[in-house]
Amino acid sequence: MRDVMALVLAGGSGERLSVLATERAVSAVPFGGKYRIIDFALSNCCHSGVHRLGVLTQHAPTSLHDHISSGRVWDLDGRETGVVILQPFLTRDQAGWYQGTADAIAQNWDVIEESRAVRVLVLSGDHVYKMDYRALLEVHGRLEASVTMAVLPVTADQSRRFGMVTVDAYGRATRFEEKPAHTDARLASMGVYVFETDLLREALRGRPRDLALHVLRPMVEAGERVQTWEYNGYWEDVGEIATYHRANLDLLKPDPRLMLHDARWPILTRDEERPPVLLLPGADVQDSLVANGCRIAGRVRNSVLFAGAIVQAGAEVVDSVVMHDVVVGRSARVHRAILDKFAHVGEAAALGSGDRSSDPALAWLDGLSLVGKDAVIPAGVVVGPQVVVGVGATAADFAGGALAPGTRIADRVATQDLV
Amino acid sequence: MSARYAFILAGGLGTRLCLLSERRAKPAVPFGGKYRIIDFTLSNCVNSGIYDVGVLTQYRPTSLRQHIGIGRPWDLDRTRGGVQLLQPSLDSVESDWYQGTADAIYRNLIHLRRRMTDHVLVLSGDHVYKMDYNVLYAFHEANRASVTVAVTEVPADAVSAFGILETDRTGRVVGFQEKPRLARSRLASMGVYLFDRRSLIQWLVEDAAMKDSAHDFGKNLLPRLVARGEAVYAHHFRDYWQDVGALDSYYQTNMDLISDRPPLDLNDPGWLVHTQSADRPPVRFETGGVAERSLIANGCRIAGTVTRSILFPGVTVAPGAVVSDSIVMNDTQIMRDAQLDRAILDKEVVIGGGARVGWGEAMTPNEACPEHLSNGLLVVGKGTRLPEGLTVGRNARIGAFVAEDAFAGDVPAGGVVRGPEAEH
Repeated sequence: MRDVMALVLAGGSGERLSVLATERAVSAVPFGGKYRIIDFALSNCCHSGVHRLGVLTQHAPTSLHDHISSGRVWDLDGRETGVVILQPFLTRDQAGWYQGTADAIAQNWDVIEESRAVRVLVLSGDHVYKMDYRALLEVHGRLEASVTMAVLPVTADQSRRFGMVTVDAYGRATRFEEKPAHTDARLASMGVYVFETDLLREALRGRPRDLALHVLRPMVEAGERVQTWEYNGYWEDVGEIATYHRANLDLLKPDPRLMLHDARWPILTRDEERPPVLLLPGADVQDSLVANGCRIAGRVRNSVLFAGAIVQAGAEVVDSVVMHDVVVGRSARVHRAILDKFAHVGEAAALGSGDRSSDPALAWLDGLSLVGKDAVIPAGVVVGPQVVVGVGATAADFAGGALAPGTRIADRVATQDLV
Repeated sequence: MSARYAFILAGGLGTRLCLLSERRAKPAVPFGGKYRIIDFTLSNCVNSGIYDVGVLTQYRPTSLRQHIGIGRPWDLDRTRGGVQLLQPSLDSVESDWYQGTADAIYRNLIHLRRRMTDHVLVLSGDHVYKMDYNVLYAFHEANRASVTVAVTEVPADAVSAFGILETDRTGRVVGFQEKPRLARSRLASMGVYLFDRRSLIQWLVEDAAMKDSAHDFGKNLLPRLVARGEAVYAHHFRDYWQDVGALDSYYQTNMDLISDRPPLDLNDPGWLVHTQSADRPPVRFETGGVAERSLIANGCRIAGTVTRSILFPGVTVAPGAVVSDSIVMNDTQIMRDAQLDRAILDKEVVIGGGARVGWGEAMTPNEACPEHLSNGLLVVGKGTRLPEGLTVGRNARIGAFVAEDAFAGDVPAGGVVRGPEAEH
């Protein structure tokens, strides 16, 4: 794989992940009890023997930088191989900010040239899946394709989420439609592409903005050899609240399609240096993932708890995602909620409680409640479903007591904490 | 702060830990659900700002060497300093295995040659405690001591297991008895010594020439220094400290971590206990899983019942299985409906379905090592596979890598099943 360079697109602003992505890139959002979303792409690279990597970042990259660091966790800290983080930069004739995925690649083209890669593997940092890229690269090489894209069969109602591909009998792409409401195509692009470097160089000369719309689609239309490779394992784009929550809870099923307990393809991540999970008297945990450092004295069902989360006596956590160092106070109840790091649910408070609103404007929340990083929910407060509590919310934001469905508490500006 | 250097003595045979330290050095014995015993001392060093450490090994160092590696988890993979494993070697002058603790340091004096340190810290690798050695340095300097010994108070009936120090009001040591039956003091040496470098070198050279010395700090060197009036001081350490060199204390110290008020906080962000971490997913609790009063590490899968137990990474407890008051090390599998009580299972053990381990009322002491296995604990060595439905009585000892078909039948209380490899 010495002739392959992977580019991980991790620049998305993630508006659809709301408070979870206020202060971090989507690919840096915690997932599965101890991982970040980008760990899947990075671990896939590591296990597939792809050891040259660029991570293209733009939006709130601090958390991602901290996480990837030197790349050591994924053995991506070689002398000549390894991971580089490619943040937008200024030149004398270029404005800097990435205008889209193709533009981001074009602006960093010298890094690719320097790697002397013959093929460029383009990946997304926002997807949860295990894939051996060697299989994709092998097909690409054998069929002498210009581009090979990984595709996955989806149901008709899913087509509006994806780039949909129509193929001929040989798996060659004949049509590419971006997020169509209706289509006969049943294969969705997974955002995983192999390009011949020479071809990509040419395609980027016209400074296209978007890789799928302005590079790939014209190639298909022009009759280039755009090959597809069908993938049938578990894959989820976790860039939306509903799919993020579902993908986390998918891990809890009796025989999950994505197996984390897999010694042959472990998902690698930065170590948290926490002691084992402490189960205290009264702990009652089932159908859940609980990471090191958690201390549990309450009831946990069908939930994912990240390192250091605390569930105090009498508290109950159901169908929820609870990130690092969250405290669920005594007798508090948390149902169908996502709590970001360091959030604090006060004693006997209830979160996700009561009837849902049928307002279509709240459909994106899928009935879930979100609590931003560092937010404090005061003791005894009742917070309905479909409520978004902003980053760093304080007791003062709850002056009215109960919060009805659809309420949104704004994020506190991060700099307030610095003064 | 001038440069600091610490030796960690990690060579002991550890016979009192029975099977657990048969195939590994005592400091490499797993502890507390994810650690090795030596992690506490190594973490104390780096948390105290000591980043230059020599670990003296002798007995079966493989496991320890793998664990410490280049020292990365402790930030000991450094350009200057770091961690070095010091195994006995053949040299031009005298070459032999380490005879005693003082001899081990004597043979490694070469490592002090290029180090510009005023003091030398000598530590033991088999104690569980959190200690800021800076306090020891400050005490040492304030007293202008030649050697400072950290001491802890032990119960009167335990003095015979320790070196006991008698001090005057200023903390100066006026008497030293190694493992006395009766003692006037209850201050026990923790095996933590801070020496003046010059004095240490001089004393070690002197001791090496003595034919009648066992070349041991506790047995020979310290009593001699006290007797001739050197400036030996005792620093009283008042926090939690445990010598986990014997099976009972090893078990009890593990269980202390899950007591109602754990005396040792593993969650303290200001004093992390660093260790080599495995890439394991979070603990998976399945339908029907029950766990209380336990420590369970990442990578475990719990579908049965776990109470008052410590489970290391990758342990699986199948539906219907019951694990109580036990210590279960990495990747051991407890199959369906098996029962486990007061058992210590080493790594990669398989307990067959329906097996009953730690069963019955009989408390017959172990026939091979009654001195270590008489209080009801039982030990199963690494890689052993217990057949389905087997019953194992208390105080039993089952060796490492015993295959299912090597069991002739149930193992009675105090019974011994030897593995294919030599055991003590």
